[in-house]
Amino acid sequence: MPSMSRFVAICVSLLLGCWLGPVTEAAKVSFELDVLPVLTAHGCNAGACHGKQRGQNGFQLSLLAFDPDFDFHSLVRESRGRRLFPASPSDSLLLRKATGQVPHGGGQQIEIGSSDYETLLNWIAQAAPRRIEGEPLLQAVVLDTTDFSLKPSEKNSLRVTAQYDDGSTRDVTRLATYLSNEASVVSVDPAGEMTAGPLPGETAVMARYMNHICVANVSIPQPNTLPTTRYSELPRSNFIDDHVYAKLQKLSLLPSDPIDDATFLRRIYTDVIGRLPSPEEAREFFNATEADKRANLVERLLDRPEYADHWAGYWADLLRPNPYRVGIKAVLNYDNWIREQFRDNVSYDVMVRKLITAKGSTWHNGAATLYRDRRSPDEVATMVSQLFLGVRLECAKCHHHPFERWSQQDFYQFAAHFAKVGRKGTGLSPPISGGEEIVFTSTSGTVSHPLTGEKMSPKPLFGEHVGEADDPRYDLANWITSEENDYFAQVQVNRVWGILMGRGIVEPVDDLRSTNPPTNPKLLDALAAEFRDSGYDLKELIRTITLSRTYSHSSLPNETNASDRVNYSRHYRHRLRAEVLMDAVADVTEVATNMQAMPPESRASQVWTHRVDSMFLDTFGRPNENQDPPCERTPDATVTQSLHLMNSPEIDSRIRSDQGRAARLAASEMTAAQIIEETYLAIFSRIPTTPESDYGIELLESAENRRTAIEDLMWAMMNSPEFTIQN
Amino acid sequence: MKARRCEGVSRRDSLMLGLGGLLAGGLTGALRATASEGVIAPKPHQADACILIWMDGGPSHYETFDPKPEAPAEIRGQFGPIATQTPGIQFSQCLPRLASISNDLAVVRSIRHNQGNHGAGNHYMMTGAPPRIPVGCGAFVSFHPSLGSVVSKEVGAPEGIPAYFSMPSMSRSGGPNFLGARHAPFVVPDDPNRSSFRVRDVTIPNGLTEGRFESRQAIRAQVDRLMRITDAAAGDPVVAGDEFFAQSMQLISSPQAQAAFDIHQEPGDVRNAYGRNPFGQRALLARRLVSAGVPFVTLYHGGWDDHRNLFNAYEKKMPPFESTIAALIEDLKSQGMLERTLVIALGEFGRTPKINKDVGRDHWSNAMSVMFAGGGTPGGQVVGATDRQGYAAVERVLAPENFVSTVYRKLGIDPNKMVHTPEGRPVHLVSNASPIDEIMG
Repeated sequence: MPSMSRFVAICVSLLLGCWLGPVTEAAKVSFELDVLPVLTAHGCNAGACHGKQRGQNGFQLSLLAFDPDFDFHSLVRESRGRRLFPASPSDSLLLRKATGQVPHGGGQQIEIGSSDYETLLNWIAQAAPRRIEGEPLLQAVVLDTTDFSLKPSEKNSLRVTAQYDDGSTRDVTRLATYLSNEASVVSVDPAGEMTAGPLPGETAVMARYMNHICVANVSIPQPNTLPTTRYSELPRSNFIDDHVYAKLQKLSLLPSDPIDDATFLRRIYTDVIGRLPSPEEAREFFNATEADKRANLVERLLDRPEYADHWAGYWADLLRPNPYRVGIKAVLNYDNWIREQFRDNVSYDVMVRKLITAKGSTWHNGAATLYRDRRSPDEVATMVSQLFLGVRLECAKCHHHPFERWSQQDFYQFAAHFAKVGRKGTGLSPPISGGEEIVFTSTSGTVSHPLTGEKMSPKPLFGEHVGEADDPRYDLANWITSEENDYFAQVQVNRVWGILMGRGIVEPVDDLRSTNPPTNPKLLDALAAEFRDSGYDLKELIRTITLSRTYSHSSLPNETNASDRVNYSRHYRHRLRAEVLMDAVADVTEVATNMQAMPPESRASQVWTHRVDSMFLDTFGRPNENQDPPCERTPDATVTQSLHLMNSPEIDSRIRSDQGRAARLAASEMTAAQIIEETYLAIFSRIPTTPESDYGIELLESAENRRTAIEDLMWAMMNSPEFTIQN
Repeated sequence: MKARRCEGVSRRDSLMLGLGGLLAGGLTGALRATASEGVIAPKPHQADACILIWMDGGPSHYETFDPKPEAPAEIRGQFGPIATQTPGIQFSQCLPRLASISNDLAVVRSIRHNQGNHGAGNHYMMTGAPPRIPVGCGAFVSFHPSLGSVVSKEVGAPEGIPAYFSMPSMSRSGGPNFLGARHAPFVVPDDPNRSSFRVRDVTIPNGLTEGRFESRQAIRAQVDRLMRITDAAAGDPVVAGDEFFAQSMQLISSPQAQAAFDIHQEPGDVRNAYGRNPFGQRALLARRLVSAGVPFVTLYHGGWDDHRNLFNAYEKKMPPFESTIAALIEDLKSQGMLERTLVIALGEFGRTPKINKDVGRDHWSNAMSVMFAGGGTPGGQVVGATDRQGYAAVERVLAPENFVSTVYRKLGIDPNKMVHTPEGRPVHLVSNASPIDEIMG
């Protein structure tokens, strides 16, 4: 702080000193360059104090000084100027509060006589100017170095430079604030000195000065580097492997071994169509001899009807509203619409366009339910930006986004695209909400800035609109899906990659921002480019990813990569999704799940509302639509899941059903060996090993009751991780 | 890929040992084994268990333990203070039952922090660690293990009973984080006030004999061949699943555990005293669980985010709520359990001094009140104070770290203890290990 005020002081006194008279004995203090940084440094404008939305005790500052005009108004003009007292500056309420001379909820923050105190005092004494003459404007804040590679426990310092519109620059390292995304990997102190943790890893460190942000990427590679030939000789299928292996080389990690056919079979079935292969399908694949049999299998799976239900499920998680709120018919229509997009492999940009510009009756066009569910422009705006751009704008609704460039102005201009969404018919009337509502383009409707009251005209977050449609939603849809908009393809490929690979290149998958960088930016860019070039073809994207070598890495680590959980050097095991597991139970037992509001023999992947009761789906973490946001799904394993598979009377009765697989196999002419093979194929999707087969045969042949033995074997296998976990 | 456990036994090995024991001796044998291992040597600590009543949303300090009758009407609100059993201590008139047992209570009025969002406030109070990055109101975040998860790990429970229960749901930051899913709360979502209440999935399905259940276990031990990744840094979900399986087996084979779940064994007058409502019966179930050796139970009670119509809302919800807490404390006392059972009630923050235009109060982390009872806590005292109008803690200002350290110390856990994340990174349980001395006694 002192360094800068001194700097400004020198400039200003050189320029103006001679004719300003006695006042210039103290340095000329700038509001933006000196005063606001003091307030920020002491946390006055932090989210918990005067920076929060309604301020504190009637005194509000913009969060972290993102809005100097607003702050100036608050300090100087508001409350009839009672906060400053230029005639006797030290009696100003601002100073008496900050120094704790009068009761202050935040306690004493600034000491009388400190340099920060003097800065505020002098500014008030100088009549609290908004600007001083010749004051440059801050334009950008940059790091001298943005990529760091540190050894474990090594230290290194960030250097932050502010750039001003007059071409001058200034070292603001001591004035900036710092935040590490993962302090245990790399910590950073208030002076900008980073200290690497004891173990290899990577993270980002953010520096913020005034309303500008810059980010350093810091990695701590494995201490031993491996010869480059270890990487050049790795077999590769496509560009994905190039980018993944380049990153692994940088970190001295080696990829795990490729998987065998059986592991691939189970992985690809559960990933692409969300079900287990039948014993017949498994045998056919194992017996096939053609070189590209994996590619052929992917092709066949992409054409299966289950593909649409499985992938629509991921989008239903994101879009599906609560039927208590919007009505059951609207929910059903919406669900049908989502499934149709995946059944027809509608290209992703077209699907998004249809959704954003949805019109008509919620009883006829399911997509219109989006606008029945999200009713105000700001509600739609936050949803649309997060889903289709991976930009989380909620923060900017109430104040400037603290980690991004988005301001409230940006938010409400974006929201203004939805100002003309008109609705007629019967609105929401929970808990039934059964009425029909028609969404149309209204001729009126505006969005205003909540602070200034200014009417906002629709404007994208960056760049420009191409056209000028009657309904600004069309301009928005064009802008979102345009080839210049990198976010659009990136967030969708990241989402799909996260589903198939067990972790997004950016996590959370829909939170793209400079302060949350991707673990492999080149891979993300290349996937996005490929997706765009394919005409946003989801099946092509799935094909590209699943046919890479990277997709077929074993989950078992080698000597280098056990701790790798972000760079895809191995496959990350995860529990099968609730619906996939529930359908697997039905397929294995050959007894369909009985569900209300669904036709007989329906599958869990076809369930169209969470109102369909299912203890199984709840236990295995399907989203709770009463929760907001409802799309949170729990991927973790829990003891209740283990207890449910073990003890649920419902599952047990299906294993032991007269109509079930065990009863059928027991009554058949099949030998014990055949039954064991069939059971292993059905439950584990593989042929049993010889010891496994011998054990199973012995079990069946020594049993008093063959059917009971098969049932018990099935129970045992279904309660094993090989059934519940994708390996 | 080698196991890195200090004991030299991999998790897989220990699991196999566990199952082997089960196979050799059958269920009863296993029971005996666990029972003999379950004897816990007495430790120099004040409490064996903690029942945490979590008032999600943030209760008002004004309308609970820190009334400000001298403040102007727009701050003091519609309710006045009442005298308590303890001379010189006043509570809000919303708490007549608790006021009548204040000699058993200690109230801390001066905990404050800087997290004004639900997500962040939940995390800070529930873990003692401030959230690492800014966290929004709607968020459910976990950067650090919660109180209950740490207690589960450090204290444990006998008979395969989960050591940490949460009813009817988990609190937002009540998870185990890097301690692993094994220390996640066992959630009992169902309503114990119903006559059909039964803790689900904890008993062998009807129609299956115990013998057949045992033979299924034996087969499973043979067919479960999936390779485990023993390096903890790999975060193998299969390893976590093994822990759950072992835990499930213990649970269903323990008669003590089964009895603890059976609230129907309680006499009618006891059930009535707790209140014939879901929260009341959950509090009673919590007491049964604590009797069975469970060291940590969270009673989650939502709906304290009264931005509007606060006074009407408190008039409705307070009487049954506070009388359940009073009944719990009285019952623990009459059973001779209060001395070793810590009962705490709090939320993520206090509420704004000025009543807003919707007759509510907003989030306020500069002051909050936390109630303690039992577990060696000297009763009949108030610790710290807020200013005359309740804006901020001004006397004996304490942080969430002090609160969490107090709970750990009472339960015999060193808050200064260094724990390791799966990647091997060292972290202190709590960064400031000083407890609240007045509560420690």
